[in-house]
Amino acid sequence: MARMKFLCDADRCIECNACVTACKNEHDVPWGINRRRVVTINDGKPGERSVSMACMHCTDAPCAAVCPVDCFYTTADAVVLHSKDLCIGCGYCFYACPFGAPQYPRVGNFGTRGKMDKCTFCAAGPEEDSTEIEYAKYGANRLAEGKLPLCAEMCSTKSLLAGDGEIIAAIYKERVTQRGYGSGAWGWQTAYRETVEV
Amino acid sequence: MQDKRSRELSRRNFLRAFGGVSTTAVAAATLAPGEAHAYDPGEEETRARYRETDHIKAFYRVNSYPEKK
Repeated sequence: MARMKFLCDADRCIECNACVTACKNEHDVPWGINRRRVVTINDGKPGERSVSMACMHCTDAPCAAVCPVDCFYTTADAVVLHSKDLCIGCGYCFYACPFGAPQYPRVGNFGTRGKMDKCTFCAAGPEEDSTEIEYAKYGANRLAEGKLPLCAEMCSTKSLLAGDGEIIAAIYKERVTQRGYGSGAWGWQTAYRETVEV
Repeated sequence: MQDKRSRELSRRNFLRAFGGVSTTAVAAATLAPGEAHAYDPGEEETRARYRETDHIKAFYRVNSYPEKK
C-alpha cells in the first residue's frame, strides 16, 4: 500500500510562496491561517535555505496522541485527517506538533479559537467525497479525483514533491546522485563558491 | 409580616429540599461510569483514495530527470 509523503528539495526551493498561495486558493482557507508555510533559514546569507512546510502526516502522529476527543484518524494512504465535528479547538495538537501544522481560524472570548484546520494532503475529511459539505469544512479532495496535492503539482522549480513515499524518495535520490553538492543549478558556484559552509 | 416571613422560609426550604435532590441526581448521572468511544470514521472514510492515474504518472515523470536515450 502506498504511503503518502511530502518531500521538499531545499536546494531547489526559491521561497516564491506559490505553494502557500495555491493551497489557500484551492481550499478556500480562511483569513489569518495558512496550511502551508515557507520557512527560510540564514536569510540573505550564503547558504540560505528555504523549506516548504505543512502537516507531514506522521506515521505515529503526536497530534492524534494528545487529542482529548480522539478526532484524528489515519487513512489507508497514511494521510492523517481529523473530524471538525468532533474537534473542540483545545489547541493541544498545536503544542504537540513539531511542525506547527494545526491552525485555528479565530481568537474569541475565553480563549476560544474555533475548529482546528490543517493540511489534508488534499484528501479532505470524513464526509462523502467531493461534496459541498466536505469542501466547506476541509477543502478540495484531489486525491479522490486521482490527483496529488496542488502545492506540489504547481511547484515551478519542482522542489516540493508529494505522492507515494517510495517513488518520491527514489526521485530525490536520483537528483542527489546526479547533481552532487548544491542544487545543480547554473551559476551555483559563482554565487556561493565551492567552499561555502552550509 | 410574620406570615410573609414564614411563607418565604417555606419557599426556600422547598427549593433547598428539591434542589438538593435534583443536583444529586444530575451529578450521579454525569459521573456514572460509561463506555468511552474513540472516533471510528469507518472503512469507507479511511479507504485508499490514491491510485496511479496518468495525471500522477505525469507528475512523477516531470519531476524525475529525463531518461537517457
